[in-house]
Amino acid sequence: MTISYVLMQNLRRNRLRTGLTLVAFALPMAIFVAAISFVVALVELSAASQKELRLAVHQKTTITNMLPEALRRKIEALDPDRQRLTAVCGMRWFGGRVPGEQNTITSLAADADTFPIVYSDTNLTDADVAEWMRERRAAVVGQAVAERYGWKVGDLRTLTSTVPPYLSLEFKIVKIVDNPTRQNFFYFRRDYLQESRKAAGSDDPLCNVFWIKCRSAEALRSLQKDIDATFAHTPDETKSEDENAFAANFIQAAGNIPGLMQAMALVVVVIIALVAGNTMMMSFRERTRELGVFKAIGFPRLRVFIIVLGESLMLALIGALLGVLPTVTMLTLFPLPRLNFGPITQLRISPVAVVGSLIIALAVGIAAGLWPAYQAMRLRTTDALRSVA
Amino acid sequence: MSAAEIECIDVRKVYRKDRIAIPVLDGLNLRIAAGEFVTLMGPSGSGKSTLLHLIGGLDSPTGGSVRVGDAQLERMSERELTAWRSRHVGFIFQMYHLVPVLTAAQNVELPLLLFKMSAAERRERVATALKIVGLSDRTDHRPNQLSGGQEQRVAIARALVTDPDVILADEPTGDLDARTSEEILTLLNLLNTEFGKTILMVTHDPKAAAHGQRTIHLEKGVLERDEVMPRKTVAAASA
Repeated sequence: MTISYVLMQNLRRNRLRTGLTLVAFALPMAIFVAAISFVVALVELSAASQKELRLAVHQKTTITNMLPEALRRKIEALDPDRQRLTAVCGMRWFGGRVPGEQNTITSLAADADTFPIVYSDTNLTDADVAEWMRERRAAVVGQAVAERYGWKVGDLRTLTSTVPPYLSLEFKIVKIVDNPTRQNFFYFRRDYLQESRKAAGSDDPLCNVFWIKCRSAEALRSLQKDIDATFAHTPDETKSEDENAFAANFIQAAGNIPGLMQAMALVVVVIIALVAGNTMMMSFRERTRELGVFKAIGFPRLRVFIIVLGESLMLALIGALLGVLPTVTMLTLFPLPRLNFGPITQLRISPVAVVGSLIIALAVGIAAGLWPAYQAMRLRTTDALRSVA
Repeated sequence: MSAAEIECIDVRKVYRKDRIAIPVLDGLNLRIAAGEFVTLMGPSGSGKSTLLHLIGGLDSPTGGSVRVGDAQLERMSERELTAWRSRHVGFIFQMYHLVPVLTAAQNVELPLLLFKMSAAERRERVATALKIVGLSDRTDHRPNQLSGGQEQRVAIARALVTDPDVILADEPTGDLDARTSEEILTLLNLLNTEFGKTILMVTHDPKAAAHGQRTIHLEKGVLERDEVMPRKTVAAASA
């Protein structure tokens, strides 16, 4: 028999209370680990986007106010020697839906010539680029979208736009992109959209955003400044921002999700600390006389302290594992492939979240057990032996 | 087999509650020879349990000296007292105070966790202690699967397992019926006669006191009477 065995047995003393406390640990920890994984996924995406050195230029007031496509030439003219930028790609929102479906796909019409350069992270091969340039109806589709609808390369698919004039266009899938940052996107050629719009009587060569592939972070910052300065006080006043800042506009449109999740995680930690603290205090009070006996038979103060604190730590760790392990297992086996939150398509449990949750469980265990353990340590043996449980 | 002499000289103990001094022991002198079985009687509040706690090193006297064997308790720090208790004193309580989630054997093993010894040696000691108290067949029973008498036997085995010099029993039969009380007292007698343990037992029951060699009567914190008892033998007690 060891002290840890005694601790484990102590947890069996009031099984209902231990069980409820473990559940009170496990459920919030499951939510916590999922929430933190989500935040970590956002952070990772943000880091990946940062690496791409893309600058978004859109109308200053709102992205729905469009800019003329001629702005692309003006932007390119700011760097005629291509010292700071590689290419500029105009994009227009299509917002297509598969006929009969309610979900809108993030579908964008992009300048055919520069899309493969600006979106080099779609990893188009030379053959893919050739096909993209040859096929007017070509579409480059994120893997999550393709899996959702069971599409494959070579398929002809129709999407109906959710914006006037509500065109229904047929596309030929030339590439399915597995890059995590492009999973929910559907790109096609803007010349195809423009011709179709013209045929429908809407001859308005406009773009929602111009994406600029920059050569360096310094170049990105300098272009950002120059572009906004160039178009200041004109009818097409612009706002330039890096890809993360641009994406944040959309994520934050649904509320400050990362902040909300972090706040939720904090609330979770405080609640479980209170629950565990209450349990440990009750357990300590009920066992005051027993702890007195431990001291009487020669257990030193420090050991008594360790017994009470150890029990709290064990409760916290078992509770955390009961919450974290099933969540990790479930989300590993079934990684929510239809999660469609901005660029995040799959909620994979991050090791950072797992380690973080275990560290927090330890911290909560210590916080909850510290006071009862201190009191147990300071307990006068004679008083404890006289106490009424 | 070991025993220790106990000597209290001019022992005083005063408790303080809200600035009020409550004297419990007032210049008590007492000597108990090694291997003696002494019972302690007196009305509630006379200082019996306090004296037991002072001799067991659970509390320190306000004045005077307490010696158990070679240990001068009033000079020892709390840490030293704790270490000393674990090796030299076995406690038996009225309400047994067993850990409910541990088996009889595990309860007996508890004090041995403080000793550096192999698991096999621990098991052997536990088995011996449980054999002495007649519970070899109840080793895996938890306290709630034992009768009151059996629980107290487990508590006695726990007090015995470290082979202490002194066994201090605070009303060990106070919660038991007459027949079971007699069994427990017989067992304590056995520990005294066969194993030579010095035993100091607090009791309210004159019949229980008759098992000791001497009965010390306390009254308001002073020794009122020291009575030599006609010794009840183990065989007679068992009859």
